[in-house]
Amino acid sequence: MKHRILIVAGITVVAVMSIILCPFFGIHTFSLESIFKDENIRYIFTQIRIPRTLVAMCAGGALAVCGMVYQALFRNPLADPYTLGVSSGASLGAAVCIYTGVGGVVLGLPIVIAGAFTGALVSVLLIYVFAWSRDSNSSTLLLAGVIVATLCSGLIMFIHFISGVHQSFQIVRWIMGSVDSMNYQMLGIIGIPVFIFMIVAIPVMTQLDHFLTGDSIAHSRGVNIQKSRILFITVTALIIGVIVAICGPIGFVGILGPHACRMILPGVKHKMLAYTSFLTGGTFLVITDTLARSITPPTEIPVGIITSIIGGPFFLVLLYKRRKKLMV
Amino acid sequence: MDNFMHMNNTAISIDNITLKLSGREILKQLKFDIRANEHWAIIGPNGAGKSSLVKIIAGMIPQTDGVVRVNNKPVKHYSSRNRASLIAYVPQKPENAIPYTVNDYVMLGRFCRMSMLGIPDKHDQSVVDDALDICDVYKLKDRYVHSLSGGELQRVLLAGAVAQESPILLLDEPTTYLDPAHDKLFFNALDRLNARAALTVVMVTHDINSAIYRCSHVAVIRDGALYYTGKSSEFRTRCPEMLTEIFSIKFRRYRCVNDGFDVFGSWEE
Repeated sequence: MKHRILIVAGITVVAVMSIILCPFFGIHTFSLESIFKDENIRYIFTQIRIPRTLVAMCAGGALAVCGMVYQALFRNPLADPYTLGVSSGASLGAAVCIYTGVGGVVLGLPIVIAGAFTGALVSVLLIYVFAWSRDSNSSTLLLAGVIVATLCSGLIMFIHFISGVHQSFQIVRWIMGSVDSMNYQMLGIIGIPVFIFMIVAIPVMTQLDHFLTGDSIAHSRGVNIQKSRILFITVTALIIGVIVAICGPIGFVGILGPHACRMILPGVKHKMLAYTSFLTGGTFLVITDTLARSITPPTEIPVGIITSIIGGPFFLVLLYKRRKKLMV
Repeated sequence: MDNFMHMNNTAISIDNITLKLSGREILKQLKFDIRANEHWAIIGPNGAGKSSLVKIIAGMIPQTDGVVRVNNKPVKHYSSRNRASLIAYVPQKPENAIPYTVNDYVMLGRFCRMSMLGIPDKHDQSVVDDALDICDVYKLKDRYVHSLSGGELQRVLLAGAVAQESPILLLDEPTTYLDPAHDKLFFNALDRLNARAALTVVMVTHDINSAIYRCSHVAVIRDGALYYTGKSSEFRTRCPEMLTEIFSIKFRRYRCVNDGFDVFGSWEE
């Protein structure tokens, strides 16, 4: 127990350190001195790098928590925003906007973001039809998600095929995912819903503990399975919609965050897992984003590429070291 | 809410239950009452609808027609938590590996007694300790549920149901996969539990002798219809002939040489 408290404290410290230190690194590395002396550097530091770091923390953290929620709801270690088709739906929405070239701004947001958000919601609505049906269980829902994802990918391919080189490149660039060009407005759009989500959702996450014991046991314990499944799906869909709309579909965080926590905190229950997954996923995205803007100056690599390149092997190593089936 | 049930009060009333799944009738107008503190065994051939009946009583699957009342109120009219505080359930085996410690798993049984925030207090822990103790799994409390043997696992599942403190216990073939020794340990735990506070038990089983000697009443379901209900002592007097009719294979009576104890089986030389 003491051991566990130390680990949780350690995760918290690392997260805080990453938020404090990472804004110093980028295409140019700043010293504390230069920030005080040079007005331009101060501007970049406070107006670009700090909001960007905080957006990465919120987005990475929330994706990790959403991944954790899906893994518990569907009792499947592979469930995450991708598997449910939410990210693909968002990508399709964005691709449609880029192809049709509708410009302009809706509710203070570029129309591509509005399109992505709509795409995310539509794909969730499709999943919903299954969630409401009488015989729904976790595997039919997951299968529905996979089908939605495949369908969206197919449609995106089609849009690539019929669109010009320039548009096609824009779509690819968006799908790679990125947290560049963030400001405090974007931070508000992501941060406020994520904050509310965490405050509201963490207390009721005991229900997720029950989902991992199987539907029939969970039901007999007094968990209203259908109700809480729909509640969790709705809330996470909204959050993922916002994140994917702004950052693009950033992969691997939803799987890596919770699984890394499960491995270092075996048998952990979902309230604590949500907290640690948020910090782990957030830290992971903050650090990978810092790498994304540091390793190939003067250009930046889309962070989605880095999360996959680092996340994949890291995950495989963890999996190899602990092949016990602790999750599901 | 008043969970206390008086002797001879109807605990579960199964009133004309019909279940159809994709056009096929799984259960046909079942009707019988289970009184408080009775122990019912539900027996019958595979696919007769026994598990479906238990799941309908537990409110897990909806029936096509009819109504199940628990304490004179339709099961469906209870909120999930209130239902759980009346009815606990032990499955044949869990649907998947459970990644928690035994103590944490049994604590989940306290869900219906806790607030939505689900923060256990000292009383919850003492109920859990007690449930672990009565099911003889206290020494396993820090082990992971997925690492247990089949016999240990079933008693841990029982402990989880015990922690609910519900007066009705539904058991769906709880010892099917257990060896005779663990089977006995499971029922010993059930006896200890029942000695402390009388329970209403409904158990699906394939063990005919267990049904006759461990339960007070027997319900036989065959092809989805109720074939027999009554006291197990009366059922025993009609065996082995009735067993032969139910299962369509020849059953015989075997008598223990020492004490004249009868068991039934279909063994042949």
